[in-house]
Amino acid sequence: MVILGFMLIPLVFTFIFGIVFGGQDEETLPRITLLTVDNDKSLISNFLSTAMSQGELKKMIELKPMETEEEGRQLLSKGKASALLLVPKNFGKDILDGKKAEVLLLKNPSEQFLPLIAEEITDTTTLILSSLLSVFSEEVDTIRGFIEMNKLPDTDISAFSVQVKNRIESISKYVFPPVISLQQETITEEGKEETGMISVHGYILPAMAIMFLMFICNVVFSDILIEKETKTLLRLNVSRMSMTEFIWSKIVTSALIGMLCTFFLMGLGVALFSINWGNLFSIFLIVLCLNILVAGFIAFLYSFIKTESQAGAVLSSVILIMSLLGGSMMPVDNFPSFIQQISKLTLNYWGLKAFLMAQMNESFSKLLPILIGMVLAGVLLSFASSYFIQNNLKRGLLK
Amino acid sequence: MLNISHLSKTFDTLKAVDDISFAIGDGEIFGFLGPNGAGKTTTISMIAGLLKPDSGKIQVDNMDLKSDIQKIKKIMGVVPQEMAFYEELSAKENLFFWGKLQGLGRNILSERTTYYLDKTGLTGRANEPLKKYSGGMKRRINLIIGLIHQPKLLLLDEPTIGIDVQTKLNIYELIREASEKGTTILYTTHNLKEAEELCHRIAIIDNGKILALGTLEELIQIVGEKDIVLFTGNFKTDLVSQIMLEFKDSEVLSISEEKIVLSVEASKNIPVILEAFFKAGLAIEDISIKQPNLESVFLKLTGKELRE
Repeated sequence: MVILGFMLIPLVFTFIFGIVFGGQDEETLPRITLLTVDNDKSLISNFLSTAMSQGELKKMIELKPMETEEEGRQLLSKGKASALLLVPKNFGKDILDGKKAEVLLLKNPSEQFLPLIAEEITDTTTLILSSLLSVFSEEVDTIRGFIEMNKLPDTDISAFSVQVKNRIESISKYVFPPVISLQQETITEEGKEETGMISVHGYILPAMAIMFLMFICNVVFSDILIEKETKTLLRLNVSRMSMTEFIWSKIVTSALIGMLCTFFLMGLGVALFSINWGNLFSIFLIVLCLNILVAGFIAFLYSFIKTESQAGAVLSSVILIMSLLGGSMMPVDNFPSFIQQISKLTLNYWGLKAFLMAQMNESFSKLLPILIGMVLAGVLLSFASSYFIQNNLKRGLLK
Repeated sequence: MLNISHLSKTFDTLKAVDDISFAIGDGEIFGFLGPNGAGKTTTISMIAGLLKPDSGKIQVDNMDLKSDIQKIKKIMGVVPQEMAFYEELSAKENLFFWGKLQGLGRNILSERTTYYLDKTGLTGRANEPLKKYSGGMKRRINLIIGLIHQPKLLLLDEPTIGIDVQTKLNIYELIREASEKGTTILYTTHNLKEAEELCHRIAIIDNGKILALGTLEELIQIVGEKDIVLFTGNFKTDLVSQIMLEFKDSEVLSISEEKIVLSVEASKNIPVILEAFFKAGLAIEDISIKQPNLESVFLKLTGKELRE
């Protein structure tokens, strides 16, 4: 019942936060600082930059043009921005020539999800502009002529306007209102894998779930103290089962229960909030690795806990503080950079990052180091706790 | 079956077990008799592998506890002083759980569960959670859990504390039966009658030391033909010591301001000792005379009574 209770809380939180923050109240979300280095300085490259600082996007993105790439990289490495957009030379010319052109987006590694959003916005913008290019392919040649002539004759402009108007009318039923209101420029990009978007629910549910996974794991481990009090642990210890086996059975049980709870929550996340968790294989590995880490971490904390009241006070505090720092309660990007560095020491940070990457359909190779890190940390903590808990428990078995 | 040699254990400054040695043969019920804090539980905990001795050697069935603890655990059963089982589970479920943990198969477990529940009169309540059981019923289950795998060595730490006579007799019966089947039993108690009734041999332990060891008859010989006489009242210890110098046949076992314990031939010496005490003005409130038995042995050895 306790575990079921802990499972329901993240759902309730997700529901409430979804209502509060899902209503497009973007002012409450952190603003993304996006640096741009325009090495092309063409009309089209300028359109690309400005496309991302128009309308609703303006509320989310603060665009900062940089003179040089080096200057931009320096600011990025200092954590002053979420991402750096590099527009190469001849970008506009390549587009007008019908060649493939690509822009480069460098993300701030110290931030958790704002760079991912910046990437999404860039992706979406380039995708929209690419689509427009294919629709207005004939008009692009005309535009190119205007640019090359460096003059705009009224008659040509008038004819061009009629042509564009007709074209817009022919496609309006498909694209109005979202595309037309945006831009009139075109850009092509190198074929990229389709990426997903993170919804408010898609952030909050895993964030909360990780925190409550620790509480669930705590319930499993608190049995050790109950068994110590009721003397069944003493009896277990004189049976064939060794204390090492007993502690490892708790760690494995805790990880398995945690996995079941996570999958259950994720299923409800899909059913109730339409969360797209991403690739199933990646998700399975994330859940597995995360729960190994959570079980190892809570087991390690139990190395220093002697009574149930200690467990209640100490563990709850540690879990809550870790969850706050690790992004379970608010996005880590909201914190000053030094706290963001501390955040990286929490399991919430890495677990959440992995979940968000999976939702963004990041490649498995990017996810793998995080998964390996979680498993290694989990296993190391489990081994350490197996040793410490034994000593701790044996001392307390006999009064 | 069990060989203990020069076993010692100290907690901070307290020497809980002080260089004790004894051996118990196959099928023997060996009583470990002493007051609370004498070192009984500490000794049993070291034999069970729960505590590491400071020094000394423990051998079970010719295996060294240090190196073969896992093998020893397979042939050992332990019944702790406290009820150690899952109260939410029924008697049957508990016996199955603990039996499986000792490596018993389903069929044999089923057979033994039925047997022991029947033997202890608990068959009718086998499926009830143990939290609904009375203290005596819980004690019986506590014992059966230690017995179910029919261990070669059974360690019983005061298994009859706070129970009624009927349950006590039932537990004695189970213990005797296990002994007859070849189980060696180390039985700690502070109950003299229990030790007298049940144990083949008894070790008297106090302050971590074994003061005497032997069969009941051998132990009684320690006090010989003399009785143990206990005076309670208000005494001046120097004065009593001086008076007792005159009675060469009597032995002073202990003197305090409230109590004097003597080993004397009561019928011959008590009247004259009493007269001497009255003449000296000592205020005697009570006199009790113990015939030679385990209680008088304990009194003689420790100078104090062992009360339940």
